Amino acid sequence: MFMGSKFLAGVVLALTLGANSPAMTDTDPNSVPRWLNFDFPRDSPVLLVSFAMGSSTAKIRGTSMLLDLHASFVLRNVGGKSLSGLTMRVEAPDLQSGKGSVTIPSLTVQPGDTFPVRLDMEILRPISAGRTGTPSLVEVGLDCALFSDLTAYGPDQLHSRHTLVVYQLEARREREYLAQLLHNQEWAKLRDELNFGLPDASPRSLGLEFIHGPLSSMLSGKSFSVSPVVFSGAPVQPIGGGAEVVGNEVRGPFVELRRMSNRGLRSVELGWIVRDDHDREFVGGSVPVTLSAEAVQSVRITDSAALRFSNGTGQPMMIGTLRAFVNDVEFSDGKVWIPSRADIDEATSDPVLRHELANSPEQQRLAKIYRLKGTTGLAEELKRTN
Amino acid sequence: MTAHPSSELLALYGSADLPLLERWKIRRHLSHCEHCERHFSVFRASTVELKRLGATETLTSFEAIADWSRLEREMEGNIVVGLDAARCIDKKRSPRGLLLKFAAAAGMASLFVLGWATHVPAEQSTRMFAAFRSAFGGRRANEYRGPILRSVPDGIVVGSPDSSMTILHPPTAVVSASGAAGVEARYVDDTGQVTITDVYGQ
Repeated sequence: MFMGSKFLAGVVLALTLGANSPAMTDTDPNSVPRWLNFDFPRDSPVLLVSFAMGSSTAKIRGTSMLLDLHASFVLRNVGGKSLSGLTMRVEAPDLQSGKGSVTIPSLTVQPGDTFPVRLDMEILRPISAGRTGTPSLVEVGLDCALFSDLTAYGPDQLHSRHTLVVYQLEARREREYLAQLLHNQEWAKLRDELNFGLPDASPRSLGLEFIHGPLSSMLSGKSFSVSPVVFSGAPVQPIGGGAEVVGNEVRGPFVELRRMSNRGLRSVELGWIVRDDHDREFVGGSVPVTLSAEAVQSVRITDSAALRFSNGTGQPMMIGTLRAFVNDVEFSDGKVWIPSRADIDEATSDPVLRHELANSPEQQRLAKIYRLKGTTGLAEELKRTN
Repeated sequence: MTAHPSSELLALYGSADLPLLERWKIRRHLSHCEHCERHFSVFRASTVELKRLGATETLTSFEAIADWSRLEREMEGNIVVGLDAARCIDKKRSPRGLLLKFAAAAGMASLFVLGWATHVPAEQSTRMFAAFRSAFGGRRANEYRGPILRSVPDGIVVGSPDSSMTILHPPTAVVSASGAAGVEARYVDDTGQVTITDVYGQ
């Protein structure tokens, strides 16, 4: 029975992809299987060196086919600048309902060097869908590559340039702060910073369901006020807000913002912190907001979306409180502001909240190095990247 | 033996149901007592007649059993009569019994409602009732019918139940909302590199 299903999956896959599809083995980029297609422009600063499909499989599930892709590939920086971050678009052309991306922030790849990228994904599609003329089931393309001088390359269809710049600025902030702690031999502070949450063997996981569009009106919720977290140096500050909360669902959040700078602003990214009914805090997410060119003193930001929160096991997570903070601001000249360490320390005396506000991808990466290799490993990594 | 044996002893003697000594005593008494000998003769004649009648009756019953069609008709008739009788009994069941059953069911229902009210949060009840209404009452015109975008323990899914894309991540990944219609997961992979996967609904 199992062999029969596997055989059927193979037959359907062959019919779907065409009889000329090569086997799924390690291969060079000139003979890429039709499961996966890489679309990098000729003048791209990164190019595919090699890739492997690992334990990728196709299975029959009911009347659908499940493609389980585990691809790993090696990219080379063929440009002339050091690479600091990269975002790749991942799309299933048959699937019209969504797309994805894989971002590697905190890179330090010198020209000519290579670096690995992994892509693990599942595609579920009806067997009856057949082949729709698309060149492959999954298309991977370069969306943006960010260099160490904060210049970028790529079509930026996912607005990933701004995100990569913010990650890079956060990475520099964290490296500088930790290097300072090391230099001043503030070991207790360093432990607090990087060992945070270590006693918790099972990390808190958050489940999210995003609902964007008209909502059912059959449930009415409670009005929650949104508490602002104010950074004194921010060019824009939240002054209040609210949302409708129905159990574990937050609907239509809004925040009032006030300008604190005369510089022209292009966009603001608002961060949300959710505290559950057990007083645990999570960064619920961030929402970019494009600001109009007019110099208005205050603006109300609203979002028609709804988010459902749950814990890792899928059990609904009841909302206790909501907080909003300005994660970053982009000025009209393209420069980006992020809160400094001093801003974060001033904003709150709550260590949990402070940790959530400063929790960046680079902090996560350096914390892992510190836990695995100790102070020496951290110092070597900071020396390499600073 | 000077006294005459009783009628019961004579009957038992006739059917050979007496012990050996008692039987010898009765036989010895009958050999010289004409009164008891006549009495015993009547018993013996009755026993023979009973045996003959018994044999005749047994043969008649066997013949009846051998007639399968007749037996089948009788059995069907008995079943029909039995079912009719049961229906009659049901119709005539006392209202008190029904009342007791109703009271027991109402008690169980009250206990369930009380337990629900004291143990299940109001928000979950509201959500469950809404789900029931949605399932049995159909979707409302303004209800969202777009693609699903949600995180599961090992990935972020976008699509519909039969057609979807999931970008996988380790269960330890930090999941959060990304932008106006996206969910992201952030983790440090086995090479020590931070990877952020995003999935966007259209």
